[in-house]
Amino acid sequence: MSDQPAGRVLDLNLHLLDRQVVDTEGLLVCKVDDLELEPGENGALYVTAILVGPRALGSRIGGRLGRWIMSIASRQATTPPPRIDMSRVRAIASAVTLDAHRADLGVAPLDDWVDRHIISRIPGSRHESE
Amino acid sequence: MKNLFAITLGILTAIGGFVDIGDLVTNGLVGARFGLSLVWATLVGLIGICLYAEMSGRVAAVSGRATFDLVRERLGPRAGLANLVASFLVTGLTFTAEIGGIALSLELASSVNYLLWVPLAALLLWFTLWRVKFTALENGSGLLGLALVVFGVALWQLHPDFGSLAHQVVHPHKPAGEGTLTYFYYAIALFGAAMTPYEVFFFSSGGVEEHWSRKDLFTARLNVFVGFPLGAALSICIAAVAALVLKPASISVDNLGQVALPVAVALGKLGLAVAILGFVAATFGAALETGLSCGYSVAQYFGWQWGKFVRPREAARFHLVVLLSLILATGVVLTTIDPVTVTEYSVVFSAIALPLTYFPILVISNDRDYMGDHVNGRLTNALSSVFLVIIVVAAVAAIPLMLLTKAGQ
Repeated sequence: MSDQPAGRVLDLNLHLLDRQVVDTEGLLVCKVDDLELEPGENGALYVTAILVGPRALGSRIGGRLGRWIMSIASRQATTPPPRIDMSRVRAIASAVTLDAHRADLGVAPLDDWVDRHIISRIPGSRHESE
Repeated sequence: MKNLFAITLGILTAIGGFVDIGDLVTNGLVGARFGLSLVWATLVGLIGICLYAEMSGRVAAVSGRATFDLVRERLGPRAGLANLVASFLVTGLTFTAEIGGIALSLELASSVNYLLWVPLAALLLWFTLWRVKFTALENGSGLLGLALVVFGVALWQLHPDFGSLAHQVVHPHKPAGEGTLTYFYYAIALFGAAMTPYEVFFFSSGGVEEHWSRKDLFTARLNVFVGFPLGAALSICIAAVAALVLKPASISVDNLGQVALPVAVALGKLGLAVAILGFVAATFGAALETGLSCGYSVAQYFGWQWGKFVRPREAARFHLVVLLSLILATGVVLTTIDPVTVTEYSVVFSAIALPLTYFPILVISNDRDYMGDHVNGRLTNALSSVFLVIIVVAAVAAIPLMLLTKAGQ
């Protein structure tokens, strides 16, 4: 956390995990399902990325249910679990704000699938409500 | 002037939006069986929903985060998931009851069997959820729901002795022939009908949909503290006319027509027509709210984009959850299960699920990290702590009472 955004020291459980992630336009991206930590040169742990998706969440849910979620999710997956690098985080408050567009992050393959195969086929899906 | 209009509109919507199928059935049923001896339970529920909605509305306006977003954050992913499943099931049960309620109301208006109305009601609901703007949807159903004021007019036209009615309210006395356990079972049902969790999911998510900020706190509070009590007054009128007309005739309420019967007695056909219009509007509005709330709770837990302020394609998973919930709820109604029975269970399960979301909101509304200077004041905290105890006691007592009284038989 030393390099991003201003080297803040945070209680991860209280201030980062399970917070809403918001993109640069205010669209909701995901929750902070888990975090990637790496030891720095001084031996302290630094947050390097936000981990997203059922594999990250399953490990935190734990127990039989958590293992079940993880095993289903990894059977479907062909790529490593989606991550958002901490260099893209602009602010941490009641939400974690990124300086990237949701569409460019590629953290929600299920959303893309649902959109392409179901929602976009229903008339009116491209328009604002009236 | 524009401001005054917005405030009036908000209050009117809150009145019409307060009453749903749970309030209609439970108040009619309790009025016919227990007279006004259980009005205290509605009043306790009213104070509870005011506190709960005010806190959630304030949290939404100040932090921009809706209820379920915060439930997971405070309880963690595991307890949050258990909470999501329970809340989703209760909201889904209420959604089912509301869809049944729309169909039953249309049956009252047309004498065509309600099961034939169910697919049409579902289609109309889906179209509204998919295409109609949030504010239009909220205001439209809320304003039409004001037709239920006809219950107040009916009460007045029945020329009751208001002194003796007030006496029954202030000195509650369990009618002879009703068991004590049954009495308290219906107290919890009325409490659950007034304090349904979806109302708060909807209220706080609506705050985020309408981009409330600190400036809107005053309007939000006014909606709660003026609109909800007037809505509860409508509920009490429904119980009062049932107590005046149905109780002396020993008519018990087991369908929606009997809830409207006192209005027909007092005001004739025209009054009945207005009451039925109110039923349709109130159940349709509540079906929209519960349907959206199903989507809100799941999407907010997982952090997906939700809401009607973006194009459906931008909130694809949210719309999918809403659509699947609608299909599931409609399917349950079509099994020919009695919608009134579903309603009776839904209000009791609402009371059981209440602590799950009330507690995290109480904690967050005291958290300066989120709320800055807008944390709870001392009075709010004292009152809402008392209510935490009441809510937990009601939730714990509900299931044993349900079993012992065979659900109020």
